[in-house]
Amino acid sequence: MEQNNDFITKAKRYSGGGNYFLQEWMLLILFVLMVVIFMIASPTFRTSTNLMNVVRQASFIAIIAMGEFFVILIAGMDMSLSSIIGMVSIFFAGFTVTLGVPIWIAIVIVMLMAIIVGLLNGVLVVYGKMPAFIGTLVTMTIIKGIYFIYSNGLPIPGIPEEFNFFGAGYIGIFPFPVILLAVIAITLTIITNYTSIGRSFYAVGGNIEASKLSGINVNFVGILAFVLCAVLTAIGSLGLTSKILSGNVMIGENLLFDVMTIVVLGGTSLSGGRGRIVGVVIAALFLQVISNMMVLMSINTYWQWVVKGVILMVVVLIDVNSKRE
Amino acid sequence: MENVKTMNNPSQDWSTAGKPPLIELKHCTMEFPGVKALDDVGFTLLAGECHGLVGENGAGKSTLAKCITGENRMTHSELYLNGEPVKVASYSVRESQAFGIAMVHQEFQLMGEMTGLENIFVGHYKSKGPFIDWKALRKKAAEIMEFMQCDVNLNVPVKQLRTAERQIIQLAKAILNQSKVLILDELTAVLQEKDIENIFRIIGVLKERGMGIIYISHRLDEIMDCCDTYTVLCDGKYINSGFVKDIDKPQLIKMIIGRELKQVYLPINQDFGDMLLEVKGLSGHNAFRDINLHVRRGEVIGIAGLVGAYKTELIHAIFGNHKVTSGKIFINGKEESIKSPEHAIKLGLGLIPDERRTLGLNMLFDIKDNTTLPSMAHFKKWRIFQDHKGEEKAAYEINKRMDLNYHSLWQSVKKLSGGNQQKIVIAKWMLRNSEIFLMDEPTRGIDIGAKFEIYKLINDLTKHGKAVVLVSPELEELMGLCNRVYIMFEGAIMDVVEGERKTQEVIIHSLLGINQNGTK
Repeated sequence: MEQNNDFITKAKRYSGGGNYFLQEWMLLILFVLMVVIFMIASPTFRTSTNLMNVVRQASFIAIIAMGEFFVILIAGMDMSLSSIIGMVSIFFAGFTVTLGVPIWIAIVIVMLMAIIVGLLNGVLVVYGKMPAFIGTLVTMTIIKGIYFIYSNGLPIPGIPEEFNFFGAGYIGIFPFPVILLAVIAITLTIITNYTSIGRSFYAVGGNIEASKLSGINVNFVGILAFVLCAVLTAIGSLGLTSKILSGNVMIGENLLFDVMTIVVLGGTSLSGGRGRIVGVVIAALFLQVISNMMVLMSINTYWQWVVKGVILMVVVLIDVNSKRE
Repeated sequence: MENVKTMNNPSQDWSTAGKPPLIELKHCTMEFPGVKALDDVGFTLLAGECHGLVGENGAGKSTLAKCITGENRMTHSELYLNGEPVKVASYSVRESQAFGIAMVHQEFQLMGEMTGLENIFVGHYKSKGPFIDWKALRKKAAEIMEFMQCDVNLNVPVKQLRTAERQIIQLAKAILNQSKVLILDELTAVLQEKDIENIFRIIGVLKERGMGIIYISHRLDEIMDCCDTYTVLCDGKYINSGFVKDIDKPQLIKMIIGRELKQVYLPINQDFGDMLLEVKGLSGHNAFRDINLHVRRGEVIGIAGLVGAYKTELIHAIFGNHKVTSGKIFINGKEESIKSPEHAIKLGLGLIPDERRTLGLNMLFDIKDNTTLPSMAHFKKWRIFQDHKGEEKAAYEINKRMDLNYHSLWQSVKKLSGGNQQKIVIAKWMLRNSEIFLMDEPTRGIDIGAKFEIYKLINDLTKHGKAVVLVSPELEELMGLCNRVYIMFEGAIMDVVEGERKTQEVIIHSLLGINQNGTK
């Protein structure tokens, strides 16, 4: 009995003295506060149409950010995701419009292309031992070249109407992108928290050598992170493409910065080994609410860059300088 | 604990005629928020003495040293430098440096790509006009080397130097500015016995020239050999101080851990079972060659060797983490070609690496996740999900067996003491049910109490029919724990000693590459 009590105390969560809830959920608290203030302040903001719009707009960028999350979690970085977005968009349109391939088959083909890019990134970084930043910069440029050669940089419009469902459809009262986001976020949360491969990502990011000596296949984990990133990015790209029903090379051009901001704002450590899926989702909503409010207040869109830059600066400063337990 | 009575003013004991002590510290208290790191400690250092500062990890040795250098701000205290009272409230590193207090850390604080000369003078370059006056610096460096009676090549990048030579450069850097006091914090932890003797010689020279030296070390033999006086701290409190010549090692141990140690080494288990691991003619890429060794159930074998003997590479090669060029490894009598650590673990091997902070543990993980890392696959719900409760239970049980001192399984391993961290690294493999424990310097940098617990654990493992391969720089440890010791020299096994031949003398001869006939 005494032993059992000892076990119960030892199995209790421990945060090193501070308030555990406050530490873990700071971003959520800030987010809720911000939303409440905006709802009180702005009648336009609080309309259900607007709120739904915010969530829908945030969903695909959140999915892409969850991909980058895994790469940053293993202390890497994927610079190629804007190219993956452009590649998927342009080739999907190319297949469906120019070649008339059925939508489902086109989806499968572009997914395979994304997986190949992810594998290439993974092989360069894991086996080629290139720094992740450079390795993915290389693939970024190569892929970009290839799809610009293919499209001459021009958009390919005229994707069949029914594909619009992917980015703008509804199931019951819920927009399809929101449902997709929820399904992916829940699946990834279960994977990160309740499977051994999930914990392996954290282990590799925390200390790759110690993980290797503890029997984790660190090469596999590394490549898997890049492939996951590419696949989730491709899903996000399909969503963005579906909204405008046109393949566009420029679609992902400025997204890398947003994605990085979201991942770090979500509490993921740039040095790896720390972070949570739920943080990424909240951060994506957080950023979207801010841009939405700025649009409603008719602030010049270029100010959004300034605001996002400041946010990333503050968050990274906190990440790099904090001594969390 | 009679005759180990607390005195608060040790200086009364040896207040020598006339000359004031270099450093006199009275009633030193230092508080971190919530913790008293030092509680009313007294400390005195005379010119020309080597003063050993001893105590377990967390006893406050480094804290005290940092108070003396001004890195830590003392809460309240009286400090006299050369008999002059110092304002404690504003005492800083600048002030201590101006007086001539220098500290050499265990970790290298050198720039690997720069030469020894550049490293010694970094921050103190003398200029002639706009240019650095290398000629003057070279002359000065030669003087310092002459002063220490050492000869190290100062013209190559320090990363090309041996560990011991780099330590000498650190020393040179520290005494550059006519230091009066030199604090050596675990300087010898990464050195081999031969090089330690050289450091002792240098300390002797410095003492003769009137410097005071504060010597912090876990190795009590060094304190006994090198120091004139000692001060023992325990849990931030002053325990005792006196002349080294008046005490012996058991007395010192008793003061340090606050209790008596009846037996350091338990009798070596002699009940051996089947052959577990056999290595035949193993050669490693750019490292060791033609290694033959074997270990049975219930047996501990030792591997001795100086730096450059490739002990660590050998252990890693057996564990599948270093490229093997030829040779065979048999596990349980079956030949295996071990491709990766993952594979080795499946075959029942477990590695306790020499660097527990960078190789043994994941500092971001809590105790539970570190303990269960190699055995994650054993705790499953519906075959795919991790069974957190099951892991907690198992981690709790195993750490209880290890006598681990902790608050919660969710606590980060970062702030645990070295001994406790090492216990977790061993617990990992016990939980994984490993059969062969490859231990690379398992007691490096951990305090003496924890050391003995590790010895007991090794003994326990053999009683449960496990096999242990122990690499250690400490001969005493090898002799006290191992049934058989393999001695490596420059990548080859020079000698194997067992039974009556297992003596310090024989081992030292082979360590230096001298074989039985006295030829090299």
